[in-house]
Amino acid sequence: MSNLAILPILLPFLAGVLVAFFHKNLIASRIFSIIATVIHLALTIFIFMSVQESGTYVLEVGGWEAPFGIVIVADPLSALLTMTTAVVATAAVIYAPKSLSRIQEEFYFYSFFFLLIAGVNGAFLTGDLFNLFVFFEVLLMASYGLIVLGNGKAQLRESLKYILINLFSSMLFVTTISFLYSVIGTVNMAQAAERVGEVEQQGVLTVIGILLFFVFATKAAVFPLYYWLPSSYTVPNAVVSALFGALLTKVGVYSILRTFTLIFNYEVDLTHTLFIYLAMFTMIFGVIGALSTNNVKLIIAYNVIPAVGFMLMGIGIFTETSIAGSIYYLVHDMIIKAVLFLLIGAVTYAAGTSDLKKMGGLIHHYPVLGWMFFLSTLVLAGIPPFSGFIGKLLLLQGGLNQEEILIVIVALISSLGILFSMIRIFIGGFWGEADIMDLPKQKPSLAAMTWPVGILLSLSILLGVGAEMFYPAVSSIAEYVMDPELYIESVLKE
Amino acid sequence: MILPVLLPFIIAIFIPFLSKWKEKFHTGIVVTIVPLIIFIYFASFFAGGFSAVTKTYNWVPSLNMNLVFHLDGLSLLFVLLISGIGTLVALYSIYYLHTTENLGNFYVYFLIFMGSMLGLVLSDNVYALYSFWEFTSLSSFLLIGFWNHKHASRYGALKSMLITVFGGLSLLGALVFMHSITGTTSIQQMLADSEAILNSEFFPLILILLLLGAFTKSAQFPFHIWLPDAMEAPTPVSAYLHSATMVKAGLFLVARFSPMLSSSEWFFIIVSSFGILTLCWGSYMAVRQTDLKGILAFSTISQLGMIMAMLGFGTKVAVFAAMFHILNHATFKGSLFMVAGIVDHETGTRDIRKLGGLMNYLPMTATLAMFGVFSMAGFPLPFLNGFYSKEMFFLSSLDLSGQGDFASIVASLVPYLAVFGSIFTFVYSMYFFFGTFRGRANLGKLPKKPHEAPVGMLISPAILVLLVVIIGLFPSFINEPFISHAATAVYGADASKDIYFWHGFNLPLIMSLTVVAFGTILALTIPRWSSVYSYVPGVLSLNKAYDFTVDKSVSFSSKLTRGYMNGSLALYMKLILGAIILVSFAFFFLTDGFAIDTSQLASVTTIELIVAVTMAIAALGTIFTNNRIAAILILGVVGYGLSMLFIIYRAPDLALTQLIIETVTVALFLLVFYHLPSLNSRGESKPAKISNWIISIGFGLLVTTVAISSHSSKWFDSISSYFVENSYKLGGGDNIVNVILVDMRGLDTIFEITVLGLAAMAIYSLIKIKNKKEE
Repeated sequence: MSNLAILPILLPFLAGVLVAFFHKNLIASRIFSIIATVIHLALTIFIFMSVQESGTYVLEVGGWEAPFGIVIVADPLSALLTMTTAVVATAAVIYAPKSLSRIQEEFYFYSFFFLLIAGVNGAFLTGDLFNLFVFFEVLLMASYGLIVLGNGKAQLRESLKYILINLFSSMLFVTTISFLYSVIGTVNMAQAAERVGEVEQQGVLTVIGILLFFVFATKAAVFPLYYWLPSSYTVPNAVVSALFGALLTKVGVYSILRTFTLIFNYEVDLTHTLFIYLAMFTMIFGVIGALSTNNVKLIIAYNVIPAVGFMLMGIGIFTETSIAGSIYYLVHDMIIKAVLFLLIGAVTYAAGTSDLKKMGGLIHHYPVLGWMFFLSTLVLAGIPPFSGFIGKLLLLQGGLNQEEILIVIVALISSLGILFSMIRIFIGGFWGEADIMDLPKQKPSLAAMTWPVGILLSLSILLGVGAEMFYPAVSSIAEYVMDPELYIESVLKE
Repeated sequence: MILPVLLPFIIAIFIPFLSKWKEKFHTGIVVTIVPLIIFIYFASFFAGGFSAVTKTYNWVPSLNMNLVFHLDGLSLLFVLLISGIGTLVALYSIYYLHTTENLGNFYVYFLIFMGSMLGLVLSDNVYALYSFWEFTSLSSFLLIGFWNHKHASRYGALKSMLITVFGGLSLLGALVFMHSITGTTSIQQMLADSEAILNSEFFPLILILLLLGAFTKSAQFPFHIWLPDAMEAPTPVSAYLHSATMVKAGLFLVARFSPMLSSSEWFFIIVSSFGILTLCWGSYMAVRQTDLKGILAFSTISQLGMIMAMLGFGTKVAVFAAMFHILNHATFKGSLFMVAGIVDHETGTRDIRKLGGLMNYLPMTATLAMFGVFSMAGFPLPFLNGFYSKEMFFLSSLDLSGQGDFASIVASLVPYLAVFGSIFTFVYSMYFFFGTFRGRANLGKLPKKPHEAPVGMLISPAILVLLVVIIGLFPSFINEPFISHAATAVYGADASKDIYFWHGFNLPLIMSLTVVAFGTILALTIPRWSSVYSYVPGVLSLNKAYDFTVDKSVSFSSKLTRGYMNGSLALYMKLILGAIILVSFAFFFLTDGFAIDTSQLASVTTIELIVAVTMAIAALGTIFTNNRIAAILILGVVGYGLSMLFIIYRAPDLALTQLIIETVTVALFLLVFYHLPSLNSRGESKPAKISNWIISIGFGLLVTTVAISSHSSKWFDSISSYFVENSYKLGGGDNIVNVILVDMRGLDTIFEITVLGLAAMAIYSLIKIKNKKEE
């Protein structure tokens, strides 16, 4: 059964390779891709269910026992995140044909897409730090491929910054792993946790931890390392932006969550307090960014940042409640960010512009799109009873239980800022006189774009209204995460 | 009890379908029935003596977030108001809104609001309360923006949303705080455990957060500015949300928590003074308005202030009067809004400067307005309910005794301010009535020829006016079963009270008479003293402050963001590196992380030294050269030096690999760099150069110190001994590196190959797409 653990990596990997062989045959590529993502979705749901039931699956790849070989660890947290990834991927692959140009689709979109998923799943599932680096490379290289897909001038310009900053962080990553290896002599995460624990994270270990944090924080777009994000998320196609917004930063957040609950949890007063402050600035600057522009795509892209602040806040507060909040927020954010990027893709497609100043009255022509956008605004801003609220509530509770007043107040004000930035799009773009924009007589149908988004959005609403179905699981995952012994034992049993 | 709360939401789902037949069958007819059913349901609780009921419906029990409905005197008062006024407003809207309007949307918002408002006042669970609270704000936003083709509608909608959601979020803060302190999410249990909250060191913060929620929602000074702009909503909405129900949610909140809060001196000081200030400011500003609905909006602000002040007083009389006035205000203000709607509907304008003399054209409407207006003014007549509560307000303002210094100052000022505010209340009431219905008619200025409204439109205001009179004549009719229950729930102990018209010739009556006397004089002479508005508020305006804040928050954001997000990679890298250097070094010092241990070091041979020095010099050389080609060649030296080191340390395969990679990259770089401009073309300023230097050296220093410290802290045996032992035994290969690469860590290798494949595909597609585009 433990072989199951690696399937979420292998399946998209193989799919990505296979689909490259008939990339010119679009019909076949699409059908193949949809089938593969649906199987992948079913698989990840199955893994999540069985992990819930019978505990963590650990696969020692190639039969090389831990801690010497590479381990793939499907624990409840990883299983939850791969499942969410699969949900987002399914919606994206259905949306893609309408959004991409023929040439983009032909030139390996599906391969890049599947390998991106493979990389993301790999990062969630691996129990080995160096292997994590490898999967980071995979998902980054796939994202490079996606970001330049179509070969636009702006794409090339922004991708250069994206590539260089991420390359730098990869270099720092591999260097830091070697430092850590020098001190504790292992790259297996469970053993690293054990050994760091044995020496109580003394000496240089905390600094190494902080360097690792910066590596992940660059991917996660934490203050002050997020500069690469906003522009580079707006230049590619909507479906690519959705994948980026939903998955890439979350891999960074996950890595911070994993390493700073499992391995580096002995200098919490220092490291996690730093996280709280950085979370605060991440929220503030993210919201300021979201308010700074009239480019609707950019508004959505900036909104990725404060969400990262919320999740980091929970890690920084470091209690079961707050970690549960972060995890809930993580899942919520993966879905709603996909929704928003896909929706804004449809909005700009319908409006023919992404400049808010040139928009208006869209709701009279596209009521479904308008109301979906309004609802997702509420979800994003954490209005109850939608999914954003549950995570936010847990984070606020966690914060106040620890008497972290300042971050709680900043979080509340940020929520208002997020709402403001989004409602500006609704008021400016959707409200107004019906004939304010010079829309073509033959309005293009958006159905192919809206229904996959509709499913995601309903899921997002369900995640809030039906929180009782999900929260107990998230709560037990948080409990599990806060007890690193469980992870260590399941990897290094005997 | 869940069904009546959910009913509006359930019906709302069907409204879009129903509205398809709106031409034949006005959607409002169905919508009128919904609150009527709810009203009857809740009214049935009177039968057989009323006592509080609590019902729990699980929603998210694992988060203590459930629908717990607590029906006591206070919530009963509110649910009856919501459903009762709701019925009348829905009925009125049938005649007010033409079928060409988007009725589907209107009634969906309307029902969502009604359901949320019912949920709000019934919820005992704080999170459910908050959820409903935000939903009332959102439905209000949508209703204000109903005619969103108008700029003013959009402006008003945004304003109300920003201010009320701001309040909502601070309310959430207060609720989470109280949950965290008491460990319960039930309001009733929090009230039972109020000592814990009152003694908490965070109590002042909780109080402020809670009151911010209440004040923004109930349009208290200085947050009242959203309410006048909310008048852009269709008039039924103004009557319902923005005078009778939603704006009273703040009052409800304060009332709900007042058994706990009223023992705090600061609660008295803050709530009383903001309330009384709002009363004065609202009534003073109402006289300045020219829009009928504007007058009513400021009037509502002022009346809300009065009720808020009474809740702040917290005495038995005050609480009783507050509850009484919540009801009275809903009756007379509801009818007046409907009157304003009729005037607008029948004349085409609400501008009081164009109106006048309508008594002859709309006699029924004028009669209804008269009762409403005089009740609002608190005119001492035994058939006007407004007089009773106004009288009690005066009474309660007189028996205040502040305990602290500050509280006693507030207490001593209250009666004077109460009279001041009431004088202006009288003035704007007269201004509203006489300006519209008396004086000379000026039909030429009116867009439409005025005539009496259809009967259907008059029914709802007539019923409300009837209530004004009935309550006025038989106050005990609603007192015993209704108001005293509500007052008791708020006061915390029995607060029933008898209502009399005649109290004898006492101070409150003198105050009332003063109000009438001064009010009449001022009302007759408005043009003579209206220049006072150019001094107070003069050019100062809270609206300008709001506009300034909103505009600035956008323009400041774009200025700040554009300042550092300028697209320059060099700047981004500087900021990123700077942050990493600063924080990492700080942690070095904080954790005392530096270590150096030379005992394990081997001695350095001459060859090693030569190679190392060459590499170092070459590395430095790349920085100082201005020529790309030279730089890449010098960089090659570093690479070849590295392969030399591999040879020295007896790793010939690595050395070979390194040599090949180095050769290939140098060759490739040479090809590419040939096409790039020369390096020295970008001139950097001196400060920029200096900061570059600092950051480069800093980062180099950081990596070096961590490297030295890591090397000096080898606390564990490395797992590499396992590879040495087992690479032949288990892996079947003599070359350990090979076994690691293809077997022990084969997964890494597969995916590194994938990375290369991906890069190849990306480049291939770039080139192909470029060629296709050029075709």
